[in-house]
Amino acid sequence: MPETEGDDDVLRVEHVSKRFGAVTALRDINLHLRRGEVLGLLGDNGAGKSTLMKIIAGFQNPDEGRIVVKGEQVSFRDVDHARSLGIDCVYQDLALVNELDVVQNMFLKRELVSRPIPLLARRVMRERTREALERIGINIPRLDVPVARLSGGQRQAIAVARTVTSEADVILLDEPLAAMGAKEGAMILDLVQQLREAGEVSIIMIAHNYVHVLQSCDRVNLIQGGEITFDKPTADTSVEELNEIVVEEYRRARRAAQAG
Amino acid sequence: MRRLLTLREGSIVVVTILAIAYFAVANDRFLTSANFKTLLPYFAPFAILAVGEVMLMVAGEIDLSIGSVYLFAPFMFYEFHQLGLPLVVDLLLCLVCAALIGALNGVLTAVVGISSFIVTLGTLLGVGGLTLIISGAAPVAMPGAEVHTTTESVKKVVNGHTITLQEQVNHVGGFARVFGAGIYSELIWALLAVALLHVVLRSTRWGMYTVAVGGNRHGAAEAGIKVRSIVIRNFVLCALLAGFVGVLEAMRASSVTPDTAGASETMFRAVSAAVIGGTLLAGGEGTVVGALLGALFLGVLRDGLVLDGVSADYLDFILGFAILIAMAVNIYVGRVRKGSGHA
Ligand SMILES: Nc1ncnc2c1ncn2[C@@H]1O[C@H](COP(=O)(O)OP(=O)(O)OP(=O)(O)O)[C@@H](O)[C@H]1O
Ligand SMILES: [Mg+2]
Repeated sequence: MPETEGDDDVLRVEHVSKRFGAVTALRDINLHLRRGEVLGLLGDNGAGKSTLMKIIAGFQNPDEGRIVVKGEQVSFRDVDHARSLGIDCVYQDLALVNELDVVQNMFLKRELVSRPIPLLARRVMRERTREALERIGINIPRLDVPVARLSGGQRQAIAVARTVTSEADVILLDEPLAAMGAKEGAMILDLVQQLREAGEVSIIMIAHNYVHVLQSCDRVNLIQGGEITFDKPTADTSVEELNEIVVEEYRRARRAAQAG
Repeated sequence: MRRLLTLREGSIVVVTILAIAYFAVANDRFLTSANFKTLLPYFAPFAILAVGEVMLMVAGEIDLSIGSVYLFAPFMFYEFHQLGLPLVVDLLLCLVCAALIGALNGVLTAVVGISSFIVTLGTLLGVGGLTLIISGAAPVAMPGAEVHTTTESVKKVVNGHTITLQEQVNHVGGFARVFGAGIYSELIWALLAVALLHVVLRSTRWGMYTVAVGGNRHGAAEAGIKVRSIVIRNFVLCALLAGFVGVLEAMRASSVTPDTAGASETMFRAVSAAVIGGTLLAGGEGTVVGALLGALFLGVLRDGLVLDGVSADYLDFILGFAILIAMAVNIYVGRVRKGSGHA
């Protein structure tokens, strides 16, 4: 597997393993993300993609291995710690609170408060939310309703907007298109495209659609059974090649099952 | 009316007004200042207990042990006073004891991972038992709440003539008057607690995190919220308030009896007040003002029924059904508010 050393890596994951009881979710993972790059992460259900994102986001601790952020080896204490180093994640489950409104969710754990008495600065947060959503072209009619009343796609849009408009420069997107209609999905992909062209943030995007990955990413990694088995620039691969690898694995597994 | 109903507290406001209107019509002694004073202890202490419970229930937990903490605190107050410490120090120390019980509840729930229902059922019994041991199952007189009676000359105007009468006047110390014995003491503390915690729940980070922890605990943790710390903090707050109310009530009565059954009943009423006020047992939603109104509703009901001469045997029976009806109205109005057919 190519393991290019480089100063332009904003993030390196080295020899990371993670077990949940008898399940080995990640096995000796090596992954790197260059500055300004969009890395696509593909893999079957249960391959370990989300677990890897949660470890990079500081939500879970690896059993073994190291994480190097902008040249410094770190061991995350918690999500805040990772965030303070510029890493932010849109989790697969979105991490929205149904009972809070759009503005409160947009600012969850990043609230703006007044001084000296720390009361929530509602008006400022609402204004910033409106601006942020407008800037990235997301239309949510009312900002003061609980997010429980929004559609699945609107909720996902808010989760993406929350991270994209934060201070983060390493953005993890765990299946950001899962609940999106064709139009809204295209909008998120356009957003990723804009960020890619601006080149200020680096992104890891998990997706199941090879076409989307080839279209929006600079490089693609494939994770199978907790191991990274493939790492190529998108220019050097194709839907056919990716399909071939994944289907090959499935066929091998089926043959093994039939044999055993 | 529609506007009122769109408020989370709307339904309990309506139900409480209906209850007040009914008793006002049914009994002309109901809307009197004398009866207002009778009503106060029927609701003010429960309002304070209920708002603490709201903070926990919004976080998706429940504290049943407030009954015992409420009973335990005044006995600790008494014990500390026996050591020769001043009243204010006694109060602070007994509140520290209450907070420690809250912290224990919080750690067992949030860190060890036992359900808060079970944990606090355990501490309800355990702390109740501890109170019996400490007190030797005997009542004590509250230090600082001793009543001095003096005979004073009071001028009164009777049929146009000014006459001087010798009257027995009861005096109680300033500390006791502030902390429970004064007629409006508990009301003022209740309003303070409600105002403060209303702001905390609606307009601070702590309040927002409490909603997040109760609404989506996993998501809250992913967002970086310290879930355990929030849960523990709310348990401590709830226990602190329970201990404080225990002292207020003991000061008001000037003595305290280790009655664990009565303590559990107090807990049930406080939880009912919170739930009637519109706080969900499931977490994520709740209102501090609603808890005050829930306590007021229960107080009005109890006071009104007593005033109507309803016998003690029927009281709980009627109260129980009234609570069920109030809850049913609550849920119905909640559906209207959300505009959905099914809750
Ligand atoms: N908290 C957990 N406790 C126990 N097992 C877990 C936990 N999280 C993940 N796993 C297991 O680890 C493996 C990898 O899960 P992960 O969520 O990372 O997969 P994924 O690649 O994101 O899959 P999907 O495409 O379905 O989202 C699975 O076998 C899963 O059951
Ligand atoms: Mg996943």
